[in-house]
Amino acid sequence: MDRGVGATFEKMYKHLIYRVLLIVFGILSLPIVLIKYFKDKMENQQEVIKKSIVSRLEKEGVKANITETAREQAKRKQEFFNRNLSSAEFEKQVNIIINKQFEERVSNELILYQQKGEVSAVTICSSFSKLLENRLFFIYSLIFSFPMYILIALYKNPYAKYISERLFMMIFVIFGVTWLVFTILYLSPMNPAVNILGQTATPEQVEQFNAVYGLDKPYIVQLLNTFKSLFTFDLGKSYVGNEDVFTAIMRKFPVTLQVTFASLFIAIIIAIPAGIVSAIKQYSSFDYTFMLFALLGLSIPNFWLGLILILNFSIRLQWLPATFMVGNWKTLIMPSIVLGTGLAASVARMTRSSMLEVKNMDYVFTARAKGLSEWKVITRHILANAMIPIITVIGLQFGGMLGGSAVTEKVFNINGVGSFIVDKQFVPDIPIVLAGVVYVAVIISLANLLVDLIYAFLDPRIKSKMKSY
Amino acid sequence: MENKHYYKRINGRKLNRFQEHSIVSYSWGVSFILSIAMLIFSYDIVTRQIESFIASLAFVFLGTGIIQFLISLRVKNEILKFNEIKGSTRKLGYLLLIMGATGNIFSIIAGFTLIRKDRTIEYTISIYSIMTTIAIMVISSLNIFKEYVANNFFIGIIILGLLSLYYIFMMYMVTKHINGKRVDKKLIPLTVPLLGSILIGNFFAFVLGLIIISKYRHKDDEISIEWISVLRRLFRNYMSVIGMFFVVLLISLSICSNMTFDYSLAIDNNYSSLLQTPSLEYPFGTDNYGRCVFTRIVFGARISLVVGIIATMVPIVIGGILGALAGYYGKRTDNTIMRILDILYAVPGILLAIAIIAAFGASTMNLILALSIGAVPMYARTVRATVMSIANQEFVEAARACGARNFTIIFKHIIPNSLAPVIVRATLGIGGVVLSTSSLSYLGLGVEPHIPEWGNILKIGSGYLETKPYLAIFPGLAIILIVLAFNYFGDGLRDALDPKLK
Repeated sequence: MDRGVGATFEKMYKHLIYRVLLIVFGILSLPIVLIKYFKDKMENQQEVIKKSIVSRLEKEGVKANITETAREQAKRKQEFFNRNLSSAEFEKQVNIIINKQFEERVSNELILYQQKGEVSAVTICSSFSKLLENRLFFIYSLIFSFPMYILIALYKNPYAKYISERLFMMIFVIFGVTWLVFTILYLSPMNPAVNILGQTATPEQVEQFNAVYGLDKPYIVQLLNTFKSLFTFDLGKSYVGNEDVFTAIMRKFPVTLQVTFASLFIAIIIAIPAGIVSAIKQYSSFDYTFMLFALLGLSIPNFWLGLILILNFSIRLQWLPATFMVGNWKTLIMPSIVLGTGLAASVARMTRSSMLEVKNMDYVFTARAKGLSEWKVITRHILANAMIPIITVIGLQFGGMLGGSAVTEKVFNINGVGSFIVDKQFVPDIPIVLAGVVYVAVIISLANLLVDLIYAFLDPRIKSKMKSY
Repeated sequence: MENKHYYKRINGRKLNRFQEHSIVSYSWGVSFILSIAMLIFSYDIVTRQIESFIASLAFVFLGTGIIQFLISLRVKNEILKFNEIKGSTRKLGYLLLIMGATGNIFSIIAGFTLIRKDRTIEYTISIYSIMTTIAIMVISSLNIFKEYVANNFFIGIIILGLLSLYYIFMMYMVTKHINGKRVDKKLIPLTVPLLGSILIGNFFAFVLGLIIISKYRHKDDEISIEWISVLRRLFRNYMSVIGMFFVVLLISLSICSNMTFDYSLAIDNNYSSLLQTPSLEYPFGTDNYGRCVFTRIVFGARISLVVGIIATMVPIVIGGILGALAGYYGKRTDNTIMRILDILYAVPGILLAIAIIAAFGASTMNLILALSIGAVPMYARTVRATVMSIANQEFVEAARACGARNFTIIFKHIIPNSLAPVIVRATLGIGGVVLSTSSLSYLGLGVEPHIPEWGNILKIGSGYLETKPYLAIFPGLAIILIVLAFNYFGDGLRDALDPKLK
């Protein structure tokens, strides 16, 4: 175990960012390593051996040899480029070449000695590894700089490393999104104070409102406050109704998520089998009909489909209620069909086209020649290899649905995040619009990360690439 | 068993050689689908009554469908038996043309396809230009039933009529005077009005003029002109051509409507005709301010198309440049640009649009801006991927070896060669923008409410869903039609530009 930690430490030490992180996290135990390093260096035989190599090489005439060729090389170069250098400059160039080549020679010889095990190079990393064998130091550092060990453990596991790096990048994206939306809302010519208090509000009232919500402060202060609130998960209070933004959004989000997952479920159940049949029976009448429907599904505006469904099933036939109620599964049917249509259409098209690409590959032919049943060929060999683009589309659409469901939510009167933002943007209620957009961005980034991880489980090539990450 | 499969494949191959067979089959299929749909619509579930007008229309479609089916059987038999279509059968094409009066475009196209044995690309395009003009005339002439018409109505109709006569004349001329790649010199002065047709948005006529000129100027018979062969592949796919036809029709209609439609009917309140049911005077009824919904939808095409095209062009230019820089320079430039775009990518387009409109208010300009910004990362990624695959090719290296500057390489060599995927994306993207525009308008966040935009019309209609559902159904169908047209057009364009199929 100790050896593994040392090796990982050495690997991490080569990257600048990780080196900084190691030093920051291990600040309490690294001074001991530093002391050990200088001590080791004093005792080390390397310098002595190096000196002996240098003197031996000089004696053997290697240096003279190098000098001669270097001089010749510099002269040729000078002639070729037609440049006349002064003799001092010429000597300087020659010396550079000589030193470089001689250093290389010496270090080569040194490596030979190191391979024999007679001597070893002393670096911070090697002293750290050596120190780890010392129980006392190990326990001490484990207690005082455990974040460093967590970092090393994360780095050691490729999946953990990949996920944590992506999460780290996500933080930047989230702050970027916050900055973007905040700036847009800051530049807005609208005045929330006047919109809320009414046109009759006195200047003092407006001033007081701005002071309460910090709107009178300069841009940079407001932005930093927003960042701070993002860190502490305290997103402030909304302008209208003075409700806590975080709890409000947490209350609305499950509703949106429920509708999204229901429509995802419906879409996948319809789209993937249909896409498979279309691809296997290409140019059949089923293929034509279904692809026509898929394209139609892509072209229908969500809200219009919702209205038509309400018209037929709620008003005329009175089978399903027109508005959504939490806990009533009947009310979930129409919204999820409406949201699922576009998703089903794009998933079916993607399933068809990516299966068509794989369908005529040689290995499918081989699988058939082996005598596998058609079902097995389709599921195990064609579909499994066509899965990556399908997963990508599902992941992308999932994110789009979370944000784009605002319209559908308005049609069916669903109390989700989308309609919440739309309702509040007329003010504009900056904390709510900001928090809603950031929340959706977080979910989308997480969904993208999940999709990338699923790739690794589906495709062994990506898996092996990730293992050596 | 095996013989059956073999013959099936042989027959399929024979039938595939004749485009006539597939298009005639399309025409009876569409007739049947329309008649079934109309039968369903004519039956009112709640009152259990049959609306006689729509039902009789359904039977008209059924009748034409049966005739078209018989023609298609005859065509099929002749292809399988004699491997050609007889002259007497080709005469039946005129019958198909007449049946096109029902509004079945496939029937018209099938008729034109069946009539002539050797159809050149010029012949096909001139058919579409004729059809576009006549369709606009038909749509415009619905205005005759109104109390009054626009001042320029009759002038407009006469101009359109003359134009369609001219296009028919040109159809005759191109079949007579273009022989393969040789173009008679007489045709050249005649192309001027063809090229001028772009002023009324008739792109088919414009392209026809371009083909004639470029074929005339192109002296080398051995080499085919690249873009004309792309066009030929595009016109082989009927669904995409129909899509293109609708796009061109709507563009042309929204230009011509300036003359033949009265804008005041679309925006002025008329309290003497509130919420009327569809009639000849008001084909789609009137809304709660007494405005003619049909006229509003016709004028709405303009705003949808303008927003759609601008909000696609702007992100293509911005995203294209960013993507090209990222893909060409790679490393740090790539990383910086793409990480910044990741921020935009993490917010769903429609949510970003809502935020921007929340900040700056609902107006057409803000709508275009909002939709453009959200689409930048998508185009940047597309361009970046293409540029990365092109930047390592030999011709780029050759240009670099010749001492070309990076700027020249990017704009002269790389971007023109990486346009195809972007064009396809853009065509599909316009449909998406039209959808987003109408969704935002429906939420009250898009175009200003008084402007006739499809989303706005639908928003008003949705208030009368219980009593007057047609107010919401017709604008919705208009949106579906244009988005579907762009989607089919984009699909066909992708197939036509696909290097694998060349």
